[in-house]
Amino acid sequence: MTNQWKLKEIVLMAVLGVVFGIIYLGFFLIGQGFRNVLAPFGLGQFGYEIIFGIWFIVSIIAAYIIRKPGVAFTSELIAGVVQVLLGTTAGPQLILSAAIQGAGAELAFALTRWKDYRLRILVFAGMGAAIFSFVWNLYSAGNIALAPWLLTSMLVVRLISGALLAGVLGKWMSDQLAKTGVLRGYALGKERRKQREKGAI
Amino acid sequence: MISSINPAMKAVTIMVPGLLLSFTFDVFTPLVYFIFILIITFTLADIRPMTWLKIFSPFVLVALTSAWMATLYANQTFSYGNVLFTIWGVDITEGSLMTGISLGLRSLCFVALSLLFALTTDSTKFMLSLMQQFKLPPKITFGILAGYRFLPVFRSEYQILKQAHRIRGADREPGIKGRIKQFRRYAIPLLANGLRKSERVAIAMESKGFTGDKERTHYHQMSIQTKDWLFFILFAGMLAITIAVSYSLGYLNIFGRQF
Repeated sequence: MTNQWKLKEIVLMAVLGVVFGIIYLGFFLIGQGFRNVLAPFGLGQFGYEIIFGIWFIVSIIAAYIIRKPGVAFTSELIAGVVQVLLGTTAGPQLILSAAIQGAGAELAFALTRWKDYRLRILVFAGMGAAIFSFVWNLYSAGNIALAPWLLTSMLVVRLISGALLAGVLGKWMSDQLAKTGVLRGYALGKERRKQREKGAI
Repeated sequence: MISSINPAMKAVTIMVPGLLLSFTFDVFTPLVYFIFILIITFTLADIRPMTWLKIFSPFVLVALTSAWMATLYANQTFSYGNVLFTIWGVDITEGSLMTGISLGLRSLCFVALSLLFALTTDSTKFMLSLMQQFKLPPKITFGILAGYRFLPVFRSEYQILKQAHRIRGADREPGIKGRIKQFRRYAIPLLANGLRKSERVAIAMESKGFTGDKERTHYHQMSIQTKDWLFFILFAGMLAITIAVSYSLGYLNIFGRQF
């Protein structure tokens, strides 16, 4: 798999991993804040669910830019490793959680044989990651002990969050980046140039 | 002492209880293991207690909220036993209280394990041992290390961007709207600069002869020695002993089933 990737694509994933590794750690605090605000109302569980989608965004951005098999999975994995390097309190297990989320996003791209990168597929990828991470959290966070109605509503919130914060926001950020011209050497930038050339004729 | 353990091996060792403790839903097992981690942290690792306490203490509150949530909303399998009291129309039983406390203690275990890793591990050495012991491809290893080195650069670039905006009078506006605007203003330029650099670094690496070949020599040789295995056996063994004792005393509870 790594032989299909150019070094610059791997370093791109790593840099995205570093940037979003920091953002993820920041969002960990925001989630904690939401949670403390919502806890007195008995809704503490939703503190993280609302923003859960942000943790999948690097998969969507990297896959949308590079457009090769395995990118969604590996970029999330790298972001997980970077967070461990930064000293996350979630510990080395975070690498495993990241791999599971990445696999969920990768699944959506795999179903299109890594050919389709329209918004709806990106949204599906975000939701795929949401489902995978939700099942994993049933075990890892002990969520399996919670009441079914609560779990269902948590899943719905997480799916929406995955669709919006990962799928839609991820596409928007990548498109903004492509506009600056830094992605000329990658699949997304090349596609944009083709579109422009077509428009010019 | 613990800082000299092979980092990849240390990560695996930390992961074993991190994964297996999730099976248990009683109070005894995570409590005993938590005490064990504390003893290791303050005897075998050179971590300053104040540093540790500063990072750890907020997580006590986190553990309390998650314990409270689980107590309130435990499902039927986990709310066994007599009703202790009723709050907001929800019956709190012995079982749901136990489950809540267990989840809280478990999360404290995870944080303590993570700190034991994070405060004693050098990031570069961790990456190198992932490559040498766990066969992570060199392309990815050095890609991550190159990206990781950008961290201070990002920080200084963020400062420059902030000052550039302020000098032009584009200061942060108050409220949520201002925050979103600010995010847009910073995120894209920072990322764009980062990506530009990543392309340059990749070209520089390749032009200096980095091929990503797996058959390569290493300047920093990482190895797994007897003490690394002893470290692993200590943590895995203590977990086995804890579970065994908990079973023999009749406390052990796996997924709501008492053993």
